[in-house]
Amino acid sequence: MTTKSMLQFVTRHKEMPDKRTAEERRHDFDEIYADFNADAAAEQAGRCSQCGVPFCQTHCPLSNNIPDWLMLTAEGRLEEAYEVSSATNTFPEICGRICPQDRLCEGNCVIEKGFESVTIGAVERHITETAFAEGWVKPPTPMVEREESIGIVGAGPAGLAAAEQLRRQGYQITVYDRYDRVGGLMIYGIPGFKLEKDIVQRREALLREGGIDFVLNCAIGTDISFDDLRKKHDAVLIATGVYKARTLEMGDGQSGSDADGDNAGLVPALHYLTISNRIGLGDQVSEYADGSLSVKDKNVVVIGGGDTAMDCVRTAIRQDAKSVTCVYRRDRANMPGSAREVMNAEEEGVRFEWLSQPVALDKDKNGQITGVVCQRSRLGAPDASGRQSPEPIAASDYTLKADMVIMALGFDPEDMPNMFHEPRLKVSRWGTISIDWKTMMTSLDGVFAAGDIVRGASLVVWGIRDGRDAATHIDNWLTRKKAEASIKANQKTASTR
Amino acid sequence: MTPSYKNAASQHSGYGDTAWLKNRLEMQDRLQQGGVWSPDQEHDACGVGMVAAIDGKPSRQVVEKGIEALRAVWHRGAVDADGKTGDGAGIHLEIPRDFFVEHIAHTGHAVDDGRIGVGMVFLPRTDMAAQERCRCIVEDEILAAGFTIYGWRQVPVDISVIGSRAEATRPEIEQIMFSTPIDEEEDAIERKLYVIRRKIENAVLAERIMEFYLCSFSVRSIIYKGMFLAEQVSDFYPDLKDERFISRFAVYHQRYSTNTFPTWRLAQPFGVLAHNGEINTYRGNLNWMSCHEDRMSSPLFGEDVEHLKPLVQGGSSDSAALDAVFELMLHGGRDLPMVKTMMVPEATGDDAPKDLKDLYGYCNAVMEPWDGPAALASVSGDWVLASVDRNGLRPMRVTITNDGFIIAGSETGMVQVDEHQIVEKSRLGPGQMIAVNLAEGKVYHDAELKQMLIKRKDWGRWLGRSQVMDNLLAASKNIPEKIISGDDMRRRQLTAGWTLEDLELLLQPMAEDGKEAIGSMGDDTPLAVLSNKYRGLHHFFRQNFSQVTNPPIDSLRERHVMTLRTRLGNLGNILDESAEQCDHLLLNSPVLTTAEESSLQQWLGDRAAVIDVTVDANLDAEGFQQAIDDIERAAEEAVRGGAEHLMLDDRNTSADRIAIPSIVAVGAVHSHLVRQQLRTFTSINIASGECLDVHHIAVLIGVGATTVTPWLAEACIKDRHERGLFKGMSLDTVIGNYRTAIENGLLKIMSKMGISVLASYRGGYNFEALGLSRSLVSRYFPPMSSRISGLGLSGIFSQIKALHEKAWSEQKAVLPVGGFFRFRQSGEHHAFDANAIHAMQRACDTGSYEAWKAYSDIVSRARPVNLRDLLDFVSKYDAVNIDQVQSITEIRKRLVSPGISLGALSPEAHETLSIAMNRIGAKSDSGEGGEDPARFVLRDNGDNPSSAIKQVASGRFGVTAEYLNSCEELEIKVAQGAKPGEGGQLPGIKVDSLIARLRHSTPGVTLISPPPHHDIYSIEDLAQLIYDLKQINPNARVCVKLVAATGIGTIAAGVAKAKADTILISGHGGGTGASPQSSIKHAGMPWEMGLSEAHQVLTMNGLRNKVILRTDGGLKTGRDVVIAAMLGAEEYGIGTASLLAMGCIMVRQCHSNTCPVGVCTQREDLRAKFTGTPEKVVQLFTHIAEEVREILASLGMSSLDEVVGRTDLLRQVSRGDAALDDLDLNPILVRADGTTHGRKPNHERNEVPDTLDALMLTDARNALDRGQRMQLSYNVKNTQRAIGTRLSSHITRKFGMTGLKEETITVRLRGSAGQSLGAFAVQGLKLEVHGDANDYVGKGLSGGLISIRPMAASPLVPQDHTIIGNTVLYGATSGKLFASGQAGERLAVRNSGAVAVVEGCGSNGCEYMTGGEVVTLGRVGSNFGAGMTGGMAFAYDPDGKFESQINSESIGLYRLLTSHWADHLKARIEEHHRHTASPLAAKLLSEWDQAVSQFWHIVPHEVLPHLSHPVIVTKGGEAIA
Repeated sequence: MTTKSMLQFVTRHKEMPDKRTAEERRHDFDEIYADFNADAAAEQAGRCSQCGVPFCQTHCPLSNNIPDWLMLTAEGRLEEAYEVSSATNTFPEICGRICPQDRLCEGNCVIEKGFESVTIGAVERHITETAFAEGWVKPPTPMVEREESIGIVGAGPAGLAAAEQLRRQGYQITVYDRYDRVGGLMIYGIPGFKLEKDIVQRREALLREGGIDFVLNCAIGTDISFDDLRKKHDAVLIATGVYKARTLEMGDGQSGSDADGDNAGLVPALHYLTISNRIGLGDQVSEYADGSLSVKDKNVVVIGGGDTAMDCVRTAIRQDAKSVTCVYRRDRANMPGSAREVMNAEEEGVRFEWLSQPVALDKDKNGQITGVVCQRSRLGAPDASGRQSPEPIAASDYTLKADMVIMALGFDPEDMPNMFHEPRLKVSRWGTISIDWKTMMTSLDGVFAAGDIVRGASLVVWGIRDGRDAATHIDNWLTRKKAEASIKANQKTASTR
Repeated sequence: MTPSYKNAASQHSGYGDTAWLKNRLEMQDRLQQGGVWSPDQEHDACGVGMVAAIDGKPSRQVVEKGIEALRAVWHRGAVDADGKTGDGAGIHLEIPRDFFVEHIAHTGHAVDDGRIGVGMVFLPRTDMAAQERCRCIVEDEILAAGFTIYGWRQVPVDISVIGSRAEATRPEIEQIMFSTPIDEEEDAIERKLYVIRRKIENAVLAERIMEFYLCSFSVRSIIYKGMFLAEQVSDFYPDLKDERFISRFAVYHQRYSTNTFPTWRLAQPFGVLAHNGEINTYRGNLNWMSCHEDRMSSPLFGEDVEHLKPLVQGGSSDSAALDAVFELMLHGGRDLPMVKTMMVPEATGDDAPKDLKDLYGYCNAVMEPWDGPAALASVSGDWVLASVDRNGLRPMRVTITNDGFIIAGSETGMVQVDEHQIVEKSRLGPGQMIAVNLAEGKVYHDAELKQMLIKRKDWGRWLGRSQVMDNLLAASKNIPEKIISGDDMRRRQLTAGWTLEDLELLLQPMAEDGKEAIGSMGDDTPLAVLSNKYRGLHHFFRQNFSQVTNPPIDSLRERHVMTLRTRLGNLGNILDESAEQCDHLLLNSPVLTTAEESSLQQWLGDRAAVIDVTVDANLDAEGFQQAIDDIERAAEEAVRGGAEHLMLDDRNTSADRIAIPSIVAVGAVHSHLVRQQLRTFTSINIASGECLDVHHIAVLIGVGATTVTPWLAEACIKDRHERGLFKGMSLDTVIGNYRTAIENGLLKIMSKMGISVLASYRGGYNFEALGLSRSLVSRYFPPMSSRISGLGLSGIFSQIKALHEKAWSEQKAVLPVGGFFRFRQSGEHHAFDANAIHAMQRACDTGSYEAWKAYSDIVSRARPVNLRDLLDFVSKYDAVNIDQVQSITEIRKRLVSPGISLGALSPEAHETLSIAMNRIGAKSDSGEGGEDPARFVLRDNGDNPSSAIKQVASGRFGVTAEYLNSCEELEIKVAQGAKPGEGGQLPGIKVDSLIARLRHSTPGVTLISPPPHHDIYSIEDLAQLIYDLKQINPNARVCVKLVAATGIGTIAAGVAKAKADTILISGHGGGTGASPQSSIKHAGMPWEMGLSEAHQVLTMNGLRNKVILRTDGGLKTGRDVVIAAMLGAEEYGIGTASLLAMGCIMVRQCHSNTCPVGVCTQREDLRAKFTGTPEKVVQLFTHIAEEVREILASLGMSSLDEVVGRTDLLRQVSRGDAALDDLDLNPILVRADGTTHGRKPNHERNEVPDTLDALMLTDARNALDRGQRMQLSYNVKNTQRAIGTRLSSHITRKFGMTGLKEETITVRLRGSAGQSLGAFAVQGLKLEVHGDANDYVGKGLSGGLISIRPMAASPLVPQDHTIIGNTVLYGATSGKLFASGQAGERLAVRNSGAVAVVEGCGSNGCEYMTGGEVVTLGRVGSNFGAGMTGGMAFAYDPDGKFESQINSESIGLYRLLTSHWADHLKARIEEHHRHTASPLAAKLLSEWDQAVSQFWHIVPHEVLPHLSHPVIVTKGGEAIA
């Protein structure tokens, strides 16, 4: 059977694609992993156990048919592998690079228990890179054009995934974004050493080639009113993401906000990462140039334990910080971020302060931060999510030296109704947009929402999933609407006769 | 002289148990209306035989011998629940003129000089008007023929000998006596009487009188039969004691029926024959017979031929139908040997002589064989004939005496004959017959009979007219075939509903390896009718399989008896005997490649009509129906216009046209032509772009297709070939492989039913419809029934239309990924998905009942998978407090972890299950494959790792006396849910040293489990095995494991009558280590249906309280357990779930030995990863029990017993998808009796009668107490069975299997020993028979010694005669057998350690042997050493014929060139001589130097490298170590 080449995990060891040494990679923003060569990809794919119940798929937000494309890869049938892989995933080359596979597919691989999981992400990346190289990746050009147009707000993963899906079905698509580039967090949030920027731009080019319009530097509610947007399009999808950085709550009324420079050296993570990415893309950024946001030769403390925190610490290393320390209130096992990223960070020289919680900032007279006062914590009973919650240990304060403190504590939604000047747009008490999950429609007829703005801050892969789901719902809704209209029209003609 | 009539009370007194009868008939009605039971599901089998005076002189002795023989086969029959009503017996004798002259005189008539005709008539007894009406009809027809009536005679009977139930249904038994003219030929008169009889029967039927039956109606012979025990035939009918009652022959029969309704008419013999066995092709044969009726004509019948129809009356058993067709063919002008040859032909392989092949070739051109186990005793005209089927599946032993008698029957010793008078003792091998021509006074042996038939006509020349198409087809390879590819191909695949999985998992392995894909862990996807995904129509057809009442065949090792030969074209008049009957085409296979199909079509030219079976895509459902009607009409017109071949074709599929599902197309055309009486004029061929796998093609043939061309599958293979997916293989090879896989798969599917001949399988509807609308089935697949109804034509159309739209609308056609075999998010739902597995494991790991409820919630919220998911509980009573419900401990005892063998499971997992189940007082089942004796003692911590249930499966691996004595229950696994009707194979790589030790085999050598138990070919065989097991373990209960199927109720009734204590009904979903995917997915039925049917039919038959019912197959929660209880089960098996509790994550790669969690693997590195514990398993069963308690409390019940069989507490809450015609679960909810009482299970074991051992135990007390050496001596008869078995149990329990010195107890037996002589006998026991023995000698021999020799007085030359029966040493593990004489078929089958020396044997010798040694000093039958992977054999072959008799696939032949093996053999023969005084052994030893060169040494290829001493190869003399 075709699985003859499979089930090799019992004899064949796990091999990742070559990873550059920490010494080498800490000086640039290039990706740290090489691509598999074809033989290695086939060999590693052949380790898959071809499970009757593929837990990798169950734990993939996109329900990727992983065992199938692994089998096809092992057999050297990469074109089919790409066909299967791209059937459930709009951007497999991006997921292959930046998904925290160790928490999703690979982390649930059944051979993981002692055999080390199949290198699913690397194979996915290999398949898609091969597909690009061979020209199998085609722009989303539809067979038949449809006249309905759809406006999509946000050119991040969710918006783009929806745009691609809908365009394939012939809809006229315009994507709006307030930034100057396409990609959302994929372009400005994620550092180049995880996702080189030309990868994102390659997709952008394909989408444009497929006939998708982009309107950039365009903030809805400011540059175009939301009403106009709705009038212009038959349906609207809001996929703006969440951008409001959470602030650090500290004991004595100190706020972690940096707004007016009374906390010089306190930087929100996304701001920090965006600037870094802009530099990488060749933009001139004054804050960087004037050194206020440059970390060179500074002691950097990053607060938080998620993937964003990891991106920050590793970026800081690459910008030649004097020291980089990550402070997180739980321990390694209970951190939300990918263990693989922590390992990479440690290799590159980041220091981790586990079970530690900032309680105050030390500042000099100019308001410039000089250190972070932290308190040790210990772990209590697990909460509903299964994670243990930290409890502070009294009188365990100590101070970390810091010239710059980056807050990577997560993101909250902006005030959407206000931003869009559309009070009827219903939001939840957390500020996320409320939708009917059966249709993904918001409280406004024909206005849909998807991605982080609905779900709260999450992974790119969830954004893609939501975007694809939204596309299906929008298509269903428009198709039904069209059918109803034609019935109505028929009735009308019938009655006028 | 005058017989004693004093007990012969008037037939009018007494009515038996009428209250029972009324109740019974009511229940029968209810179940029949509910669709649960129908009379045609009954099976029977029995003991059968004949006696004849070779010189053709009638004598009293013949009659007395016949009656005596009947007394000696009582144990092959069964008794009803009233303890007295037999299943029927009877005897067929000549009409004694003197006897009837007197009785005619009583009527006041003088006898004229004509022939006296007598009709033995069963009349309605209680309805006097009907009785009188029947008499009138009989008289009218006799008079109309111009014969003179003497009058009626009320036959004296003694009703005190029959049971009250037999009495309740007893007919009025009378004889009509009449005179026929002497000047007419006897044959002509008999033919007239045949027509008269058919007229009478039709006339009575027309008046709707059901109780009338003519046992016999003849001037030659008369049949006395009824519902008494065999030994009572002459007590019930005192006529038979009359000294004037003389005959030239007696044919007799004792019946064992699965039914318990005393149906007098089904007692045998019938007019021509008495049949032991079962016709597996019954349905196909019946359907074809009704087609043959259309063209049937003969000058012998003239116009009368119309009166003969229908040939087979409704309600006939398979035997009755076989008899009816025999009778027709005989009266049509053929004689008995020819009719037998035609109806039940021998298998003729490639190496058969040409003239014999020609004879059978002609026979097969006329009629589809009636295939299945059959021992036939028959009489017609001057011929008396005994014969067996092509597989030799029923025994027939023959004795010929020097005073002119021939005795043939199921057993030797049925008629006691002085040994010194015996001149021949033989047996019939596969397809053989023996006959006496009474007129000539001559015995015809098999070869003589066949020579006689061969010489009658130039069959070869006749057969030359049927074109063997092989050459034409072979030349067709090069015909270019337009290939579809790319998007077009994809769209057609999508239209057919194919997925990537289908192509990768099913198609690719077939084309690459020529084999079907293997899968594991059963089927947990929804029944097709419950699915919300598209499922091809073949998913609604479940493969039938045989269990208990007939055996499946091994299509691999016994391929030589099977054939796929396909007749193409119109079929002739079966009553004819002419060359024109051969005017058709012959193909070797029903599967055609596209190239073959097109060259065939070209060659046929005008004789073939192509019919497009696609329809306009824009139709509505009504139009779809219309379109099918049009196709039917087109087919009819084509045939009326002279087309001899219909070529149905769906290649025309396009954006605008949809293919009709092939199964509907074929079913519609076939059934329409049958209705129009046109089917025999044409072949129906289909080129289908829908079928891909074996099952689909089997369904097409089963519903009537002559040939199938899976053209799209072939196109896919071509496409894949072009893409380089078959590295280094040519296109021809891969297409050839695909065809091979399909053909072997077809053979396998047929063999499951025990069918060997495709011609008899075709149109036989050997499927069960599950979830198809009743009206659809009755229209297109008429003889099938569809119990719960389901999807209809409009539903089908909307489904295929949706598929079609999707396929042709997408921009780029991409196949869905699938998910039917392995879970995929976008694919078919599976009961166990990741969430359910996680949730359940969490509950078992933590012991939290909350967590369990979370799991249970996931299960109950999931989409429906099983029928039970459409049911819910009815709250009839107030809830009770949970404290009032029986305890968890009590409930857990009812739970069982079902049989999973060590070999599938790792030793760690296997033990963990046993320990856990023993801790909670529940039972685990060892599965097949033995168990380490080290586990029979407690662990240091007190844990008991021994399985409470020990399984006895067809492989009998490790089934020793010790194994059988270390348990509470013995389970006979007749079938298993994942692959009912199939055997298994443990590949050499999985046989490590532990497994090899437990299975008594060699590490690294392949082990084969045969499809059937070779000691269960029939229901009476099962009774025998149960008897044997109850002897070897006098305490253990015996369980019989069956797989759910329609008709299982009657089978269960038969099993209950065989004295089983528990019956396990397994569902189709059951797990397995490895099975072909098509079997996992398409065989067997849901347990809900099987269980309910078994419960109801057992209740109806009054047998329910004799057995405990157990069920398994996908039970997951407490809810499942309670539903199973309500449907009738008292015990519940939980398999897959218990594996999950131990850490299984359903990787479903059990067959690959790569289980990453160490549950299902033998690799040490993987076993180390096992994390299961007894605690987790205990937790699972505790959770289930707790949940059961909750449910019981909510229903107001305090124990499981109270809800057993309470289907009134269940209701159907969903009727499935709206697109279905209906889905009606009433058939599983209907109740035989109206009571609502729960029942208490009977834990008493059903005891069996004692055998000689009861006496031997007393006589051997000193030996058993102290190990003192003793010698005992007895006379024996064939009714004394399993001699030495009970004794061996005592020895094992006291001394262990090897604790007693050899020959401590010697038992000398004189006479014919009954079946299972020395079964499971252990060391220390020697059985020494002077005389002969029946089947199953040394079954499971465990160290004992058995010797058998003729009596000293016998004049026979031992090696020329049969001394022991069939299936000797089956599953023996050690011990020795010496027999001075020949053995029957299947000597030493599955022997794994015993040594045997015999002087010849029948076919299939040493089959599946894995150890031990067999020496044969005489001729052997065919297929010697098939599947023999271990042990060795020696064969004396002075005439050089041995080599042609072997199956050389797994064995090699060597000469004895080393002194080691020559000396070894010589010592064996010396031993044989010492134990039997064999003259042949003496002769060989005296001329040893010469004899040794005439021996073959037979060594399996796989053990060659493991031999202790090298064998020298003859070729080149090269040594092999």
